[in-house]
Amino acid sequence: MLEVLHRLLFATLDAAPALVFAALGAVLSERAGVVAVGVEGMMRVGAFCAAVAALVMPTPLAVVMGMLAGAGLAAVHGFLCIRWRSDQVVSGIALNLVALAGGTFLLETHFGPNGTPSIQQLSTWELPGLSSVPVLGALSGHAAPTYLALLLPVLLQLVLTRTPLGLRLRAVGDKPHAVATLGLSVPALRWGAVLGGGLLAGLGGAVLSTTVLDRFEQHTPAGLGFMALAAMVFGRWTPLGAFLAAAFFAFGNALRIGLASSAPGLLDVVPQGVLLALPYVLTLVVLTLQGQRNSTPAALGVPYEQESR
Amino acid sequence: MGERTRQALPSVLSVLLSLGVCWLLIAFTRDEGGLATATAAYLQMLWGGVGDWPRFLFEDAPATVLTRPMGEAAMKAALLTFTGLSVAVAFKVGLFNIGAQGQMLLGALAAAVVGAHVALPSVLHIPAALLGAALAGAAWAGIAALLKLYRGVHEVISTIMLNWVALRLVDNWLVVGPLRGTAEAGASVTGTAEIHPTAALPRLLGDSSRLNLGFVLATVAAVAVWAWLTRMRSGFETRAVGLGDEAARAAGIPVARRAGLAMALAGALSGLAGAVLVLGTEGRYPGTLGAPYGFDGIAIALIGNNHPLGVGAAALFFGVLRAGGTRMQLLDVHKSFPELIQGLALLFVAGRLIWLAVLRRRTAPAPVATPAAPTAQVPHA
Repeated sequence: MLEVLHRLLFATLDAAPALVFAALGAVLSERAGVVAVGVEGMMRVGAFCAAVAALVMPTPLAVVMGMLAGAGLAAVHGFLCIRWRSDQVVSGIALNLVALAGGTFLLETHFGPNGTPSIQQLSTWELPGLSSVPVLGALSGHAAPTYLALLLPVLLQLVLTRTPLGLRLRAVGDKPHAVATLGLSVPALRWGAVLGGGLLAGLGGAVLSTTVLDRFEQHTPAGLGFMALAAMVFGRWTPLGAFLAAAFFAFGNALRIGLASSAPGLLDVVPQGVLLALPYVLTLVVLTLQGQRNSTPAALGVPYEQESR
Repeated sequence: MGERTRQALPSVLSVLLSLGVCWLLIAFTRDEGGLATATAAYLQMLWGGVGDWPRFLFEDAPATVLTRPMGEAAMKAALLTFTGLSVAVAFKVGLFNIGAQGQMLLGALAAAVVGAHVALPSVLHIPAALLGAALAGAAWAGIAALLKLYRGVHEVISTIMLNWVALRLVDNWLVVGPLRGTAEAGASVTGTAEIHPTAALPRLLGDSSRLNLGFVLATVAAVAVWAWLTRMRSGFETRAVGLGDEAARAAGIPVARRAGLAMALAGALSGLAGAVLVLGTEGRYPGTLGAPYGFDGIAIALIGNNHPLGVGAAALFFGVLRAGGTRMQLLDVHKSFPELIQGLALLFVAGRLIWLAVLRRRTAPAPVATPAAPTAQVPHA
């Protein structure tokens, strides 16, 4: 039993970081009032650029390249949505499409349909003294992003709720005019949040191609960006909430794989497809039971115009 | 500039610009003769989408060089119209339907089941299969609507989840399990059983093209949705809810009912997309319904500016592009270009205000000391 739990936890910790980072990026952007539908696309360019960069440079540096690529795509979003007050949903969906088609084109013309050549994965870290502890030992033996994914949500939560900067970021997503009244720049704050969100989403993608896989494939990230949006909404637009939701999704997935491998007889009773659908059904059930208070940032998706009230 | 032109012009210009950008992209990724190759590729795409007129007129080719491409384009346009309308209708009431793909999957499955397991004369069989698909799609979207209305669950998250549930249950279980079809020798085949000929949508041009009744149905649906939204009370109320639910509620509009019905209609339209795919061309639910027409519907709705007729126009254009795009591969142009054109077009559409600002500067008779219109001004830039 402990053994099973250990393996489940380990698998969760391996799979969750990509989702956690992307969800945190979405939270950051949306708390400042800018819709983050483009997260999937940002993850995709992040994953692609990290994989390509890792062919010529050390993997940790390649991850940074992936982050910058994510921020680059976010900058297009910022230009359209902040500078030109475009429809943020349209812009985000467009970025996803361009990233999908453009990524496929570049991948297949430069590397072929099977993905990039395999790259050096990020090395894993053993936590001394922890590896032999039952269950908790699962915490050890992951790559750096896993540890960062455990720290960052707490950090971001503290920044958002306890610092003047966090207050301003949240205010700019709820009442931008009030922020402007204080003499602060609404566009500057939103730019910061959007670019930061892009860095995080790019990191999420880079984690996929440097730790979960060892290459970029045609289907990376395969809807994970949308799952990150779901985690954000599920977690009511808070970093800790989004983290818990992302961890829940990852755990559900690990549970499914664990169930199928530890109890092969199960597949005779429960069809594989039903098992695959389980995490998503579970999410819907939890949401239905919990219901949702309206915690959407008040000015989300509303372009800021100084003159309007 | 009239209001209508003002609404439509950015979309048209965006599509043209994206065509131009991709033309350059093809040209510059060639070592030599890039511009000629790009132009030739575009011509291939055009003939592959609207019919190979040069060969028909000057080389005495059979009429199928016209009907085949047009049929393919119309077929793809029909699917894009349905899912585009689905997303647009939900947008009109203020909901973001990411779930068109899942609703389409369920619709396709329902059509395949009714088509294969019910015996009826054609006059009844086709409507029955279409109805089944519409109901299945509506029911699937209805789950999201109910969760939204009664439990406040955000439709973005519920439709994403429902997409995955539909995909897993249908593709990984029903189609490979209980509903798997058997061939005549008793060997199992991929996908569900073949539909009865009575359920197949009639081909409009006989065997010379895959053009089928689905295209007519999609056109009728676009006009019907347009008429509903602009000419009928319930359609007007639906739009009012989308523009501001507080105001709509204050005006006595049953907000919840309008939102629920619009979402169900959105699901029904996506379901019909699945039905047209199965009854019109596939003949069964194939091993996997890989085609992401549901997700494409989001782009089509937005490029069409959420206007039912705009959606129809955008779907027709991208149907032509998709059908013709495969022909570009003859010239070694990558097959993802049609999608890239679609994505870039949407990106440029997102910059609607940039277009309007540029157009205003060009057409306005040099305003005398008038401050720039608010839309063209940049706060704190």
